Amino acid sequence: MVIDNPIYFKKPDDNFAIQTFDITRIFGKLVAVNGINLNIKKGELFALLGPNGAGKTTIISMLCCLLKPSSGTALVMGHDINKDPYRVKATLGISPQETTLSDHLNPLENLELIGSLHNMKPKVLRERAKKLLETMGLAERAKDQVRKFSGGMKRRLNIAMALINDPPIIILDEPTLGLDPQSRRVVWKYIARLKKDKTILLTTHYLEEADFLADRIGIIDEGKLVALGTSRDLKNDMIDTHTIVIKAWNLTQKTIMEMKAKYEDVQISDGTMTITDRLADFRKIVDYLHAAGTIIRSAYIREPTLDDVFIKITGKELRE
Amino acid sequence: MRFWSLFTRNIKETCRDVMALAFLLAFPLLFMLLFGAAFGGSNSPSYAVGVVDNDQTEVSQGFINNALSEVSVLQVSTYNDTDTALEKLRLGNISSYIVIPQGFGEQVSQLWQSKQGNISLDITYDESNLAVSEQIISIINSVTRSFAGIEIPITINTNPINIESRITNMDFTAPGIIIFGLLIMIPTAGRLMLHDKETHFLHRIMTTPTHPWEFLAGYASSMVIIAIIQIIIFILLGWMFGMDIIGSIWLAFAIFLLAAVCSIGIGMVVASLSKSENQGESLSWLFSMPLAIVSGVWFSIEFLPPYLQTFANLFPYAHAVSAARAVITRGVGMEAVSGDVYFLIGWAVVVFIVGTILFRRTMRS
Ligand SMILES: Nc1ncnc2c1ncn2[C@@H]1O[C@H](COP(=O)(O)OP(=O)(O)OP(=O)(O)O)[C@@H](O)[C@H]1O
Ligand SMILES: [Mg+2]
Repeated sequence: MVIDNPIYFKKPDDNFAIQTFDITRIFGKLVAVNGINLNIKKGELFALLGPNGAGKTTIISMLCCLLKPSSGTALVMGHDINKDPYRVKATLGISPQETTLSDHLNPLENLELIGSLHNMKPKVLRERAKKLLETMGLAERAKDQVRKFSGGMKRRLNIAMALINDPPIIILDEPTLGLDPQSRRVVWKYIARLKKDKTILLTTHYLEEADFLADRIGIIDEGKLVALGTSRDLKNDMIDTHTIVIKAWNLTQKTIMEMKAKYEDVQISDGTMTITDRLADFRKIVDYLHAAGTIIRSAYIREPTLDDVFIKITGKELRE
Repeated sequence: MRFWSLFTRNIKETCRDVMALAFLLAFPLLFMLLFGAAFGGSNSPSYAVGVVDNDQTEVSQGFINNALSEVSVLQVSTYNDTDTALEKLRLGNISSYIVIPQGFGEQVSQLWQSKQGNISLDITYDESNLAVSEQIISIINSVTRSFAGIEIPITINTNPINIESRITNMDFTAPGIIIFGLLIMIPTAGRLMLHDKETHFLHRIMTTPTHPWEFLAGYASSMVIIAIIQIIIFILLGWMFGMDIIGSIWLAFAIFLLAAVCSIGIGMVVASLSKSENQGESLSWLFSMPLAIVSGVWFSIEFLPPYLQTFANLFPYAHAVSAARAVITRGVGMEAVSGDVYFLIGWAVVVFIVGTILFRRTMRS
């Protein structure tokens, strides 16, 4: 069965840090990951975007050799996940989706445990651990047991633990989940700084996170890769669709009904009318409203966002 | 190095978790105190035992007067015939009686000379009082063995019953209780591994290039430390309650430690098979309670039907109990218990190999 699988004729390529070949995982009847082919370049920051249950975490679990693919395989820094799991693991640093720490150890001990399991020298390890705690704003709490930490502090340590072994590939499963905007920004900045010499694979629900950080974005839905490209590429797909946002004092029910009859998607909230339509012409709409006696406060054309892309491709919102 | 990091982490995680540590250490303490209070100390019960001497030789008289009568927990009365003894047993005046058959003296003399042969005693006991009868039988068994020199060669000229006269009830009960205490390490041994499974911390450390045996050794060795502390507590408390270790304390310690290592190994197997702490704990209680019953920690396994004895002997605890009793109450050395000790070592090795195989399987599902 494995022999005549065409994936085995695909070539490994040195330029890629991660290559997946029709990687698939089935849980009972559920196809959680369905034949995904991905090539992530060395030094690239790749974001996997997808709604709950899309299969993001399952892909990551297969890449770090915790789950066996039902079929297909992947190469991580040239090592096959099915044949060489220990080599694969040695090239990875992982921050899992769920925060998991050793509760009765302090953050320094947590970091040093992971580091020494990666065979780091104690001296180097200690120094690096201290530096990371500094970066993540945890230095003052270095001697407290982590069970006494707040959720956000644990989350930051969770990320630091992916970085302690200074691996060539860093995998972050929803790294900023549960962080306040300020901490999120700190983490983003740090990830952006790492970007130059590391390959980073991250999953996220935050579109702005993917937009801000990622070189390329893959959108997955129901286990399938449905779109792939830079943020710009993906938005360009939407270029023929315009979103026009108009704020007005006195929108009448009659005007609204007329607009809804004319255009595909018209949303009203708090005196703001958002019109998304392929044929929407900004000037025509403004003129029409003006003639109808509407007093316009502001009117503009909005660039398409990843949100729009996402809804267009998958037909659903990212977050419920 | 990796093993060491895991070991120190597990020790810290266990010792800083006050509740968990209290459970691990206070439970055996409480348990031993209860049993010590029940069986040990000055108010140890005494058993009324009858003797009918059909041999009437110097040796048999010596056995009655110097060996049996010197055992503090036995109150020996002699009767002229079995009918009288049976009547006394019926009336509840005695809880069992021993019949020394004709030729007993000759058999024993032969044993003293050639170290070969066999002796037989008839013991009639009250079946409705199993626990007491078992105590008496094991005491008499031990006294007789010592007297006949089956394990410790003794000559009649030196005081042969010297050693055994110190036997207290606690000497017989304690090894069984200690082994039971170590047997019930099965449910606790896998606690940390299951906790790490439930919190997914195990998954996290599995993303490092650590091998299955390193994980297993890390978990097991931290439990071995706990086991050593437990055994020290057990021996100290046993000693406080009047348990004398006649043989080598190190040999007794080694036997206890081997039993503990087997428990930890079984705990690792169960933890590798289970998905949650609850599941693991239920599974191991289900397994360890019946095992405790058939392993002779409460009463001698000679009371069990043969198929249950065979079953019990497949597991380490029956061997550990008999070896520990032999060392503690009869003072035998390694040569007498080597079979049991090697069995325990073999068992420990096999259970850890099985554990590693199972753990490896769960490492990647
Ligand atoms: N161990 C498992 N056994 C059975 N089904 C599973 C298992 N792990 C994941 N699944 C299923 O596979 C699908 C994909 O799950 P996955 O965790 O990969 O989603 P995700 O994209 O990470 O979602 P989220 O954004 O919520 O984290 C889900 O339907 C999930 O129920
Ligand atoms: Mg996920």
